[in-house]
Amino acid sequence: MRRKQILAMAWANMKQRRLRTSLTTLGVVIGITAVIALASLGEGFRVTVKQRMEQGFELDSLTVIPGSLFAGLSRQRFTDENVRNISQISGVEVATQVMQIGNVTLHKGDNEVRAFVATAVNFTEFVQVFPDRFVFETINGSPDQWKNNTIVIGYKVNHPNETETPFATAGDNVTMTFMESLYVRETQNFTVAGTLQKRGTPGLTNFDYWVFIPLDTAREIYGPPYESDLIFVKVLNPNDSDAIAKDIEALFPPYRISILAPMTFIRQVDYILNLIQLFLTSIASISLLVAGIGIMNITTVSVMERTREIGIMKAIGAKNTTILTMFLAETALIGLLGGLIGVPTGYGLSYLLSYIVSRFTMGQQQGTVFQTPETQQHATITPIFSPTWAVGAMLFGIIICVLFGLYPARKAAKLDPVKALRYE
Amino acid sequence: MLVILEAKDVEKTYSLGKVLVSALRGITLEVEQGEFVAIFGPSGSGKSTLLHVLGGLDRPDKGSVYIDGINLSTLNDAKLAEVRLHKIGFVFQFFNLLPRLTALRNVELPLTLADMSEKESIQKATDMLELVGLKDRMNHRPTELSGGEQQRVAIARALINDPKIVLADEPTGNLDTTTGWEIVRLMKRLNEEKGQTFVVVTHDQSVAETANRMIYLKDGVIQGVKKISGSVLS
Repeated sequence: MRRKQILAMAWANMKQRRLRTSLTTLGVVIGITAVIALASLGEGFRVTVKQRMEQGFELDSLTVIPGSLFAGLSRQRFTDENVRNISQISGVEVATQVMQIGNVTLHKGDNEVRAFVATAVNFTEFVQVFPDRFVFETINGSPDQWKNNTIVIGYKVNHPNETETPFATAGDNVTMTFMESLYVRETQNFTVAGTLQKRGTPGLTNFDYWVFIPLDTAREIYGPPYESDLIFVKVLNPNDSDAIAKDIEALFPPYRISILAPMTFIRQVDYILNLIQLFLTSIASISLLVAGIGIMNITTVSVMERTREIGIMKAIGAKNTTILTMFLAETALIGLLGGLIGVPTGYGLSYLLSYIVSRFTMGQQQGTVFQTPETQQHATITPIFSPTWAVGAMLFGIIICVLFGLYPARKAAKLDPVKALRYE
Repeated sequence: MLVILEAKDVEKTYSLGKVLVSALRGITLEVEQGEFVAIFGPSGSGKSTLLHVLGGLDRPDKGSVYIDGINLSTLNDAKLAEVRLHKIGFVFQFFNLLPRLTALRNVELPLTLADMSEKESIQKATDMLELVGLKDRMNHRPTELSGGEQQRVAIARALINDPKIVLADEPTGNLDTTTGWEIVRLMKRLNEEKGQTFVVVTHDQSVAETANRMIYLKDGVIQGVKKISGSVLS
């Protein structure tokens, strides 16, 4: 039978039973709306989280720390040889060590500021590892010239309470008091080599609260053994970070070190978010199954009502497959219609939900323990319209409708023509 | 003459609940091309069952039916449907038009099933409706047509695929006498002008007597055959 005619007849039948068709379609619309709403919201959520994490972490950097969560944090530290070995791994651009000094107080005239994290670093290498974060507000010379008793001050240390005038600018002389526990260990004079711009980040380290001095100076003050607490590694290609992390691990005995690799972490989180999205969407698709049962029900009724018509069609020469196709065309059209309405509705709903969620979290987030200036902006999830999901949901809807229509349609196709003609 | 339809020892038994009803008990008959045959008998004689078996709507328990040389019992459902589509036209007592389609679309339906292009099939259906005298009513739905008009549409539909044979089951049974005779006259005209072969089942003796040949059926057995020379109508 001509395909166009089958569709035309199916459409005419649907139009004639308008209320019934609308209600059945509504079921499909609700199912597809739910799937699309959750899918685009889930996708938006996943991408937002991923973007935030990518902004927070330098993807091309690895952090090597001593000890392991599972074998207890080791008091052991890294030697120069460890750092050299890591630098020689292929794919590593630079490896630089960091010695943690603890908290310090800086004095300039009568002014005093405190830094909770003072570190000793190799400035030349450090700039290379963190080119985006080690950005200067004021600078005196260039990092490779900075020798003994120079200091770089993080933004928050230099601008306590967000003051307009900084505590110090490049070229100033300051006095630094090293603390050990609560006791003053040493006081030294430093020349400010640079002050950092605000680079607050939700990542693992926030340089705004740090001050930096040259490694050599720290070694002079503390004496041997010359060891460090962290190694930052910059890799050439972020995608190799997993493999490089394994190579670094291989340099040490088991459980001696841990490596924080943002790329691996992000990949894991992304994977988990994908699973969550899939899970939510599967729950939503249950409503599509319910709609499918509605289709089955209504098609069964329709077959009974049209038994005589089926008999007539068969008598004038319609094959079983033609009858089957006629009924399936109707259920497929309902699926298509449901998809055409459901996809935009679902996408609209995801925006509505996103708006509600963002209004809700904005009120909630104020005054939480973890509130820092960087997290204050309220979380917004922008739903993402994925053509793949849209087409997928429509196909899924049509397939569900056809599958659930199959049983009653087959019953119709197999009707005995003589009995069907006699049916009142 | 060429035999279009042949039935050999056809038997058919129905079960009505627990009771077995022998509707046909060894029917043998032949219909030649261009004939107008009436199968006549009281109700319950097995006329309709015979017509269904002859038209490939139902399968006999025993015996075989040949249409245009094809043994229907060797065909599967799909092939049988094709035979019904191309070689047989049905006319029923209750017209059996599809209520949602216009007269034109009802007549066109078999062409649609035969995959003819829309342009061609609409033209053919229009011509056919003109032949049965309903050209001006072709865009009406069955509910907007009188019984006689509906039966004309049904006849047009039966003829549309140029079938070898038209099987009519009590075509006048649901019409008043005048209209019934109009339908009989139409069928006779098509038989005489176009050479269309008809087998008409009826319990009305006067209708049966318009045929070239009258087969009298009772209790599923052919009781007698009567050749009628010179139609009553003419």
